[in-house]
Amino acid sequence: MRKAHYQKKGTIKGMKALIIIPAYNEAENLPRLFEELDEVAKNADYTIDVLIINDCSKDNTLAVCREHGVKVVTLPVNLGIGGAVQTGYRYAFYHKYDIAIQIDGDGQHDPQFIPYLIERIEQGNHLCIGSRFIENEGFQSSRIRRVGIRYFSWLIWFLTGKRITDPTSGFRACGKEVIRLFAQDYPKDYPEPETVVTVLRNKLKVSEMPVIMRAREGGKSSITNLKGIYYMIKVTLAIMIASISRKAR
Amino acid sequence: MNISSTLRTVLIIGSVLFFIFIINMVRIKKLELKYALIWILTSVSFIIMSVFPQTVYAVARLIEVEVASNALFLCIIFLLLLMVFALTVAISRQAIRTKRMVQEVALLKAELEEKIRNHETKSQSP
Repeated sequence: MRKAHYQKKGTIKGMKALIIIPAYNEAENLPRLFEELDEVAKNADYTIDVLIINDCSKDNTLAVCREHGVKVVTLPVNLGIGGAVQTGYRYAFYHKYDIAIQIDGDGQHDPQFIPYLIERIEQGNHLCIGSRFIENEGFQSSRIRRVGIRYFSWLIWFLTGKRITDPTSGFRACGKEVIRLFAQDYPKDYPEPETVVTVLRNKLKVSEMPVIMRAREGGKSSITNLKGIYYMIKVTLAIMIASISRKAR
Repeated sequence: MNISSTLRTVLIIGSVLFFIFIINMVRIKKLELKYALIWILTSVSFIIMSVFPQTVYAVARLIEVEVASNALFLCIIFLLLLMVFALTVAISRQAIRTKRMVQEVALLKAELEEKIRNHETKSQSP
């Protein structure tokens, strides 16, 4: 890792950061993730809290979290990825966190990049996305998905004039303004590309940082081949609508 | 130009029963009056149309449709589309409200559990 390149930490005094992890049946993947997160929290000179949004899991996700002593919010009804993540942003909003970091529960995202994402927010970005496609290192997803991602990237550029190389990445950090925005309004499913446009539309600063992602360790992607077409159409429409939506007050 | 009197009788009985059914649903509070209004209006217009079939012909002439039944279908399909759309809007609103409620309940519950845990650990170590 290019550590020297990023050296600088925790400039805001008494800063609080919340790591939001949506989890649906992730009991197998969580223990390893918790270990890696502990490592990150230990080396940080600001508060890092971990919040699991247990989206009505049927396995012992809740027990694993309790055992590890992290914060857990269990949804009484399955809300899907968007509703779960938004619960995390609402938590961050109510508890006045300065920074929220969103990371998948399946082990695809390596927590060691978190401090660098946080740093980007401290430097004045409102949203920073961890991108696989800046340095093209690590797990690059399948060819067909890369085509889809490139298409969304083009669509966002076409509508907003901003180049986002990895709009589908769910590995991201954001500051107070975006926490407030997401707490108010967050899409139900396949939220990532759409939210990038919403943030841009609200005249907030979005940047990307190269990250290395891993192939998922367990569980399945929420997007299967059959849903692929529906996904493309829905997200295309969502991006277009987001680009002409009313700005948040 | 005329429908048979048997069919007419059946239609009258059917539409009156439909009207009574709707009113009863509202009475036993299984249907909110707000949503029942459109159905009450529909059933009343069914009664009117079956008692005075001339109204259907009059409407057909008015909108210049040659066959009365086509005019009737047109009106009913239009009405149905409106109702389905109104329902979709209502469902969307309910979904947004439910989501928000689920989130708030989950956050409150987590908050409460944490308070209780903190309280217990405090009382254990004085």
